[in-house]
Amino acid sequence: MSSSEREREAAASDNKLRNVFLLFAALWRLVRGEDQRGRKVRWMIGLLRPYRGRIALMFVALLIETAAGLAPPYLAGQAIDAGIETGNLSALDLTVVAFVVAALLYAVGTYAETYLVGWVGTRALQDLRERLFAHIQSMSIGFFTRRSPGVLISRMTNDVEALNQLVTDGVVTMFSSTLTLVGVIVIMLVLDVQLALVTFVTLPLLAITSVIFRIVSAGTYRATRERIAAVTSYLQETLSGVRVVRSFGQEPRHEEVMTDLNEQNRAVNMKTVYLNASYFPAVELLAAIGTAVILVYGGSQAIDNTIKIGVIVAFVGYLTTFFEPIQQLSQLYTTYQQGMAALDKIFDLLDTKPDMVDAPGAIDPGTLEGEIELDGVWFSYSEDPEPGEGEWALEGVDLHVPPGQTLALVGSTGAGKSTFAKLVARFYDPQKGTVLVDGHDLRGVQQRALRRQLGIVPQEGFLFSGSVRENVAFGRPEASLEEIEAAVATVGATEFVAALPEGIETEVGERGVQLSAGQRQLVAFARALLAEPRILILDEATSNVDVRTEKTIEKGLERLLQGRTAIVIAHRLSTIRRAGKIVVLEGGRIAEQGTHDELIAAGGHYARLYGAWADSSAA
Amino acid sequence: MGYLRPYRVQLWGSLVFAWAAMGMTVLIPWLVGQAVNAIRAHEKPGLLPLALAIVGASILRLGLTVVRRLVAGKVSLAVEFDLRQQFYAHLQKLDLGFFDGQQTGQLMSRATVDLSAIRFFLGYGLIFITQNLLTIVLAGAVMIAINPLLALIALIPAPFVVYTASRYNKVSRPALQEVQQRIAELTAEAEENVSGIRIVKAFAREEHQLHRFQRAVSRVFEQSIYSTRLAATFSPLIGLLPQIGIALILLVGGREVINGSLSLGNFTAFYTYLVMLAGPMRMLGVAMGMAQRAIASGNRMFEIIDREPAIQSPPRAPALPAGGGEVRLQGVSLSYAGSAPALSDVDLHVEAGRTVALVGPSGAGKTSLVGLIARLYDPTEGTVLVDGADIRQVDVGSLRAEVAFVADDSFLFTANIAENIAYARQDASREEIEAAARRAQADGFIQDFPDGYETRVGERGLTLSGGQRQRVAIARALLADPRILILDDATSSVDATTEEAIKSGLGEVMAGRTTFIIAHRLSTVSLADEVVVIDGGRIVDRGSHKELLEGCGFYREIAEHGLADSVFLQRDLEGREEMARL
Repeated sequence: MSSSEREREAAASDNKLRNVFLLFAALWRLVRGEDQRGRKVRWMIGLLRPYRGRIALMFVALLIETAAGLAPPYLAGQAIDAGIETGNLSALDLTVVAFVVAALLYAVGTYAETYLVGWVGTRALQDLRERLFAHIQSMSIGFFTRRSPGVLISRMTNDVEALNQLVTDGVVTMFSSTLTLVGVIVIMLVLDVQLALVTFVTLPLLAITSVIFRIVSAGTYRATRERIAAVTSYLQETLSGVRVVRSFGQEPRHEEVMTDLNEQNRAVNMKTVYLNASYFPAVELLAAIGTAVILVYGGSQAIDNTIKIGVIVAFVGYLTTFFEPIQQLSQLYTTYQQGMAALDKIFDLLDTKPDMVDAPGAIDPGTLEGEIELDGVWFSYSEDPEPGEGEWALEGVDLHVPPGQTLALVGSTGAGKSTFAKLVARFYDPQKGTVLVDGHDLRGVQQRALRRQLGIVPQEGFLFSGSVRENVAFGRPEASLEEIEAAVATVGATEFVAALPEGIETEVGERGVQLSAGQRQLVAFARALLAEPRILILDEATSNVDVRTEKTIEKGLERLLQGRTAIVIAHRLSTIRRAGKIVVLEGGRIAEQGTHDELIAAGGHYARLYGAWADSSAA
Repeated sequence: MGYLRPYRVQLWGSLVFAWAAMGMTVLIPWLVGQAVNAIRAHEKPGLLPLALAIVGASILRLGLTVVRRLVAGKVSLAVEFDLRQQFYAHLQKLDLGFFDGQQTGQLMSRATVDLSAIRFFLGYGLIFITQNLLTIVLAGAVMIAINPLLALIALIPAPFVVYTASRYNKVSRPALQEVQQRIAELTAEAEENVSGIRIVKAFAREEHQLHRFQRAVSRVFEQSIYSTRLAATFSPLIGLLPQIGIALILLVGGREVINGSLSLGNFTAFYTYLVMLAGPMRMLGVAMGMAQRAIASGNRMFEIIDREPAIQSPPRAPALPAGGGEVRLQGVSLSYAGSAPALSDVDLHVEAGRTVALVGPSGAGKTSLVGLIARLYDPTEGTVLVDGADIRQVDVGSLRAEVAFVADDSFLFTANIAENIAYARQDASREEIEAAARRAQADGFIQDFPDGYETRVGERGLTLSGGQRQRVAIARALLADPRILILDDATSSVDATTEEAIKSGLGEVMAGRTTFIIAHRLSTVSLADEVVVIDGGRIVDRGSHKELLEGCGFYREIAEHGLADSVFLQRDLEGREEMARL
């Protein structure tokens, strides 16, 4: 090995050791509040405050457990020295009783500690999860389009789990291992200072070995998790795409890739085998060396009568007790890092303030008539307050919709139809101009008061897992079964609902997957109808449904639109023809508006289109 | 067990090493006892050799253990590797009918959870069992040799520890799995809420959703507490039992030392043995729990591995004969396991190069019919012939190379776009890939991506819209240059402008091959030479669009309502916009 290699190696191991110092340095900064994480940790402690009684109990249990765990080797030594060596039977019996009591205390302490730690940890995290959920829900729709759903979900699940590890495992290990270690050291010193010091010689060796092992293996274990995740996701993907694989006959290729991934997985796991094979036997060796040292040194002292034989036995017993906490402590840094990373992510989310809160003094407009007015509305999805050319989704839209009218929005993808609808629901605020409902600027209206009177039917007919009944009653959970069934009947869904295995109580599955697209659409109609909205916003589905459902949907739609203001992003000619007003949107502007007949008579674009369509369908 | 056969040498080797190492382990407490006796006898010179013997024994043990761990680790990983390879290869052979009846999640859990249970058992469990059993037996033997009565007393707790530990392992496993299951439910709940947030907000139902979420959270909490309580009950119990053994030794053994029937050294050896045995007793229990799980897992894995693939080429099957893609179905019926027939007695002859539109309500059997042509399923009755050959008599690979699908779900793999297009023909040049993309009207949007054809798609890549996915899938099928092209629902999520463009491209693409289109729109039907109307698994009628409109009431109904007029208006609008831009 060249000298430069040796230096590099030394630097590397130095680097690993530094991590351990880093842990303590980080903890120190936390305690002194110098780290900006201090705020987060204090907040986390705040989470635990409601359970401080149980936490106090937990620490008491932990103390009892640790102390009782330390007693047996000492008592065994006592049994020899005070009982056996002196032939004192009652002393022997007393020590045995103490031994059994210690063992029982240990068991009780462990029970209480395990239970309380588990309880407090999961409970605090339950609170945290609920808080996160409520926080996420309070965000505006814009927030949800900017953040990936996967990340948001992971905040509520994985990151909370990582924090759990830190709170439960981390804190408990830190406390009990340190306590055990200190306890063992103190007891050994009290029993015999010299022998204790000699025994401690093995300690730094063990500590260094353990720390190095943990640091090296942390990387390797991460690699094993990554490799097996790669295997799993590849398997998942080829299973989901099994039809494509089959129909193109590409099985051998996937087998090859799989072999490759499988081999990588094996290789990285083999590394952990090497690591474990070198570490654990080494620890056993160190323990044996410690035993030998105790026997030689302590033994010769015992022969010289400067030390009692029971002390030697106790020392041999303690040797194993003090190896364990060192191994556990060396594991902590990883837990600490992961937990802190999770805490940072969770805070990043909690620190994001809801961006569309009701203005102070926002009014409840009472029951709405349903008059809608857009006054010079400009809107862009860009976060830039001064969006550039071409970034506007709506450009200066003026429109008046009288109460009770059905407005059909027509235009190509990206013309601004759904943006228009979203502004009326106040999912966003326009950058310029105002949206008014019954003459109230939406910015000054309580959001919930407005939305309670809105019915929205999205194109895909999104349903929640639960029964058909629960889904229909989504907007009005207090509705009676008769009302729900009436709503189902009005949209013409009674027939299909009755045909479901458990009728209206049938579970629709996650996102309603158990139902067909057309059926989901009908349930969404019933849901909107039952909420008795004053304003209905409907994105007509373009997906293919079969003939019979199509007819039912047309009828259901007609009933749904009666007696309320409606904005329909229309795709069906039948809907468009019936609308009180048709607005043709083009590039964020209104190109034309009027009724079907008016627009035909005007002979504009709409008329030409209609003519062209009529020709093509007659052909 | 058969999976261990190739590795039996290593396995025996590792067992031998394990035994030898255990011998050393058992030797050490005896040496400690001897040392105590030496101290007792004031034999200072005797101490050092004993201490050296301890160090020597443990160095020997170190060597043995390292070798044992390496060998055992290697074997267990090799077995895992082999099993996974075989499982995966077998899955690639099984017929689609099998997958229809299986949930992906179930298969995934076979390949991961069950497999690792087996691996752990074969790799560690077997070693654990023998090693720990051996430690107990050897230590027991030494103790019996020293003092039979005391040994018997000392070993009283052993069976209880083993039993309790294996019992704990058995009950805690399902409890923990249930925790995971409930966390999965919670994740699903969160996911649903995030995806459905517009609905939640629109109906102002945030509080209701929070309650639902709270319920899911509580369910996780309850189960976690249950499993915590199991741990809190069992682990102190498992820890307590060996301590009782030690207390008995102190009590009874101490008396024997005092009345002189036991040396202090042997007493110490007993004590050390019992301290040492607590671990193996517990581990033996754990390993026995592992064994039970591994057997259950093994049974589940072999259920799949032992399953014969239903669709295989006959031995030495010839390749599909050359031809233009003539398809003939003779008296074909198909029923999936346990359900009503999807097709009954279908006769259909399609000449090479023709384009046929299949029209009918959902569930009529259109998808089943085209699945038969690529032999994704075998008919329950009847025969399918391609270019005159019964497809059951030819090599499946050669058949599928000539049939390309564009399915309605347009599955893409996690890879870049170029690789996805070249899926069926990896040797395709870049020019060929781009040409296929152009014909499928996909080139335009692909060029617009920052990374162009190198853009990664699929699970961890860019999310393409439904229409974009379909166009990539069409390009993929085109590059395969098949005799028979099957377009299943293929244009349903493409917007109208694009559909128009694809339509014009398809005309060219369909030339020279037989094409089946499962059509949902009049515009797609117009591409076909002929329309076949299917309902309830039977062919109701066939003919040109015009003929059917006049002669077939069912078709007329479908054409009026099912083949929606809806999108027509949008398309024309968009067409006009394009004109305006020019």
